[in-house]
Amino acid sequence: MAGPLSKYSFINAKLRARISKILPEDMFEELAKSPSLEAALVLLRDTPFAKLEEIYSTTGDLKQAELELLRSEIELYRNIKQYLHRNSIELVDALLSQFEIDNLRNAIRIYFDRKIRKRAGDTGIHYILYDRIIHDIPIDIIINAESFEEIAAACGGTPYNQIIMKYYHTVESEGSLFRMEIAFDHYYYKNLLASIDKLDRRDRAIAMRLVGVEIDLQNINWIIRFKNFYDLPLEAVLAAIVPGGFNLDIAVMEELYVAQNVTSVLQGFVKSKYPGLSALLSSHTSDSTSRLLLIRRILEEIMKQEIHRILAGYPFTIGIILSYFVLKRNELKKIRTILNAKYYRIEQERIESML
Amino acid sequence: MILTTEMIQLFAVVLAKDCEPVTETLLREGVMQFINISELENVKPKSLSEIKSDISLTKISDLRKRIEGFLFAGGVIPPAPRETDLNKRAVVNIEKENAFLDKMAGELESIRERQRVLQQEIHKLEDIKRQVELYGIGISDITLKAKHSFIAMQIGKLPAMNVKQLEDALQDLPSLNVALGQEDDMSHHLLISMKRDNEQINKILSKVGWSKVELPGELRSVRKDVFNELTTKLQTLAAEQKKAGMKVHDLMEKEQKRLSEIWINIRINELLLKIQENFASSSRTVIFTGWLPSSKKNRLTRKIRQACEDRCYLEWNQAGSLGVIGDEVPVRLDNPKVFAPFQMLVSNFGIPQYGTIDPTPFVMPIYLTMFGLMFADLGQGLILAFLGALGAYFLRNNEQKQGSRNLSWLVVWCGCSSIFFGALFGSFFGIGLFPPLWFDYHGIIAGHSAHNSAINSVVDILSITIYFGISVIALGLLFNWINIIREKKWIELVFDKGGILGGWIYGGGIYIVFYLTSHNYKEVPPDIMIFLLVGLPALLLFIKEPYHYFKHQEGQSEKKFNVTAIPNFFMGWIVELLEIFSGYLSNTLSFMRVAGLGMAHVCLMISFFTIAEMTSGFKSIVILVLGNILVISLEGLSAGIQALRLNYYEFFTKFFHGTGKLYTPISLSSSYK
Repeated sequence: MAGPLSKYSFINAKLRARISKILPEDMFEELAKSPSLEAALVLLRDTPFAKLEEIYSTTGDLKQAELELLRSEIELYRNIKQYLHRNSIELVDALLSQFEIDNLRNAIRIYFDRKIRKRAGDTGIHYILYDRIIHDIPIDIIINAESFEEIAAACGGTPYNQIIMKYYHTVESEGSLFRMEIAFDHYYYKNLLASIDKLDRRDRAIAMRLVGVEIDLQNINWIIRFKNFYDLPLEAVLAAIVPGGFNLDIAVMEELYVAQNVTSVLQGFVKSKYPGLSALLSSHTSDSTSRLLLIRRILEEIMKQEIHRILAGYPFTIGIILSYFVLKRNELKKIRTILNAKYYRIEQERIESML
Repeated sequence: MILTTEMIQLFAVVLAKDCEPVTETLLREGVMQFINISELENVKPKSLSEIKSDISLTKISDLRKRIEGFLFAGGVIPPAPRETDLNKRAVVNIEKENAFLDKMAGELESIRERQRVLQQEIHKLEDIKRQVELYGIGISDITLKAKHSFIAMQIGKLPAMNVKQLEDALQDLPSLNVALGQEDDMSHHLLISMKRDNEQINKILSKVGWSKVELPGELRSVRKDVFNELTTKLQTLAAEQKKAGMKVHDLMEKEQKRLSEIWINIRINELLLKIQENFASSSRTVIFTGWLPSSKKNRLTRKIRQACEDRCYLEWNQAGSLGVIGDEVPVRLDNPKVFAPFQMLVSNFGIPQYGTIDPTPFVMPIYLTMFGLMFADLGQGLILAFLGALGAYFLRNNEQKQGSRNLSWLVVWCGCSSIFFGALFGSFFGIGLFPPLWFDYHGIIAGHSAHNSAINSVVDILSITIYFGISVIALGLLFNWINIIREKKWIELVFDKGGILGGWIYGGGIYIVFYLTSHNYKEVPPDIMIFLLVGLPALLLFIKEPYHYFKHQEGQSEKKFNVTAIPNFFMGWIVELLEIFSGYLSNTLSFMRVAGLGMAHVCLMISFFTIAEMTSGFKSIVILVLGNILVISLEGLSAGIQALRLNYYEFFTKFFHGTGKLYTPISLSSSYK
């Protein structure tokens, strides 16, 4: 059996070098401050994101540049995979499946808008990935499909077939993809947790902790959406919650959804596990959505602290790989957010609050 | 050059009415690194306030960045303002300039929108093209083979007057409309669209009076290749897209002169505001302070006096004197241009503290000697030097890539070092083409040394690197002593690991080792000699811990000596001794890597020659060429890294703290990124 040193020494050195290349915080501040999209793209000129400027200046299409970012993010996972020990590959595949699921979701949305909502000429068709990510999914067939059965058949041999078959009646009767999207999320995390289970003890503990915080964040995002856009009964909300959170279990989620003073719910674990973040809990927020946004901020801070812990700790674990993915994802997310905000001329303060 | 440049601090008071000309002078001279008086709470009198400006620095910086966005989009990188531009400076009208930029942004936006629309068109056609490619072409016969095709094709006719209407209506949908010909007033068309859009397509077709027809007999001979049509259309769109992109370029070119002029004026105003940001003012006076090289003192004094017609008070304070404001003296490394690549290596490690030794001039020979010993080959050195020169040539005018330019020059230097050592060892692409000037490195490694010099074995080669290492470490120790003496830290001079006692132990240890080796490891120096060389300094080191203990107790009368401190003194002493012995030993042996890499270089070349000998003709040439490429890239990189590592960890750690702050004056050429 391979030891941690042989499994992670090379990738650890490689990823630490790559982490040092991730754009620093002051760069994002500069980007947010830049007075126009053109000026922001100029700042990215001497970075690995110089291609974005090239694409935008040739096509005038920011979405096209974003598609390039997505491609490079997927490529990043594939690239890392080749340096990994077979035990870790399954986990990276599970992580990679989020892109496949998102892509499939987008394709289904295009079908849904055209066929069920009768909306024509969806330009989203041009910003979808047609290449294989993990499974052979004929995206063309899904976009051009005439029915959900046809989509399910196109996804035959993949885990998505069953999800589509199970939920398409509900989607058609409710006129909303909500349940199917939740089911895709559940599948993604279930698969991810299953791949974590196959890791050895030390790696499992680290991965569970990091993915657990991510699940917390995902659940908080859903709850914010439930509060703002859907009027769902508590049972439906709880059914949508992804199990496996690190800090927030179903009971806490229930409290968060119904409680007025949500910060008090969090005080227990924040004070014991992350005392440095207690100050955030004392922030005064007026409405429930702001409070939930505050919780999201706290969870994002927790994620940062977890990554810092991993990077400062024992180096030969799966933690370095997961941390790199999280850091890189955050970097790409910030670039996307800033460029879009600049495109739509959103004010600097708002951009900074979005980061 | 050997020490950091001597700096002097100026404290100036000028009349408020002279503030502008003095600021201009300071910018023109570009030698002062300012200290923001507002940030020095203990120094700033309460009556002083910041200078108020009509324009905010943030607004002016935003305006500059906005212009840069346009200039860069047109491929223009604005050059730094010149002195003559300073004379032509005008007040910046933010509203007016923003209005001009808004107008430009509007024009640019419409071009970008046109580009975006064109891109959408391209996407739509690419969508069809992809389908055609995926599910079979067969298009020349206007039939599709694959059952999975999502393409709908139909031939029909419509009144010629409705063709435009049809084209407009199809714009939002991926489709290809090919005109096949005209019969009377009816136009025949082949329409390719996506099946998923059938519903909408049918609506559009019924509106324009489309009626399906079989391909008319007279048109059957027109065998249009739809795939080619698609490609042509895509090419047309791509050309249009390129044209739209050129419009951006044209727009920028048209306005470039004005944009550049505005940029220069804004940049100058921004720099002036940046200087004034550090000023403090009372109702009638303005004060400022900052650092500059001592050599610039007289000129700046003269220029400031000229600017304010002698209505000023200037006070000069040498670094370290009582009147100095602030704690940190900025560091200026004043080396000739030729040292630039090596200064880059030093700065990469850190900036030396003010008043200490700047190792740049020493890094150059040490680094190059190490590199040459590891990578000694005249031919390969020539290639390295050529590649470096090529890089330096192409980057010669690119100020943005100064780091890469320095790196190119470093490669040139490394190449020269390889050439020099290659000549010493008689190696040309691994061949002994000429007699070595010093010794036959290849011969020794291959076991057929000519025995005509003092160096005859691998051990001799290892000894060279050990001697070299001892010299480098000794130089590091000497620099440390000089730095400590300059800082007047006398106790540190004696007791520091790199101090006199540490150096004494190191020197003694070296003598003992050489004595042993010169007596074939059979005899050690006399006991008294060993005691004097190593024992005595080791014993003297024991004083260090108690000294620090009692020094820190000073003034704390209530604290009394505790006997439990004695074991701590012993522990501290033993650990210190261990660190000195193991540290110096490993530091010295670390230099053996120079010989190791040099031998690896020779061995690799010998291996490639052996492989080449197994084949013949063209194959052997290919092997030798590939071998040389591999050796140059792999060994060159590895020798460069190892030489750097030895400098950083065996040389710098003896004397260099790297905690200095680089001198960055505000000048016309200050970086705006």
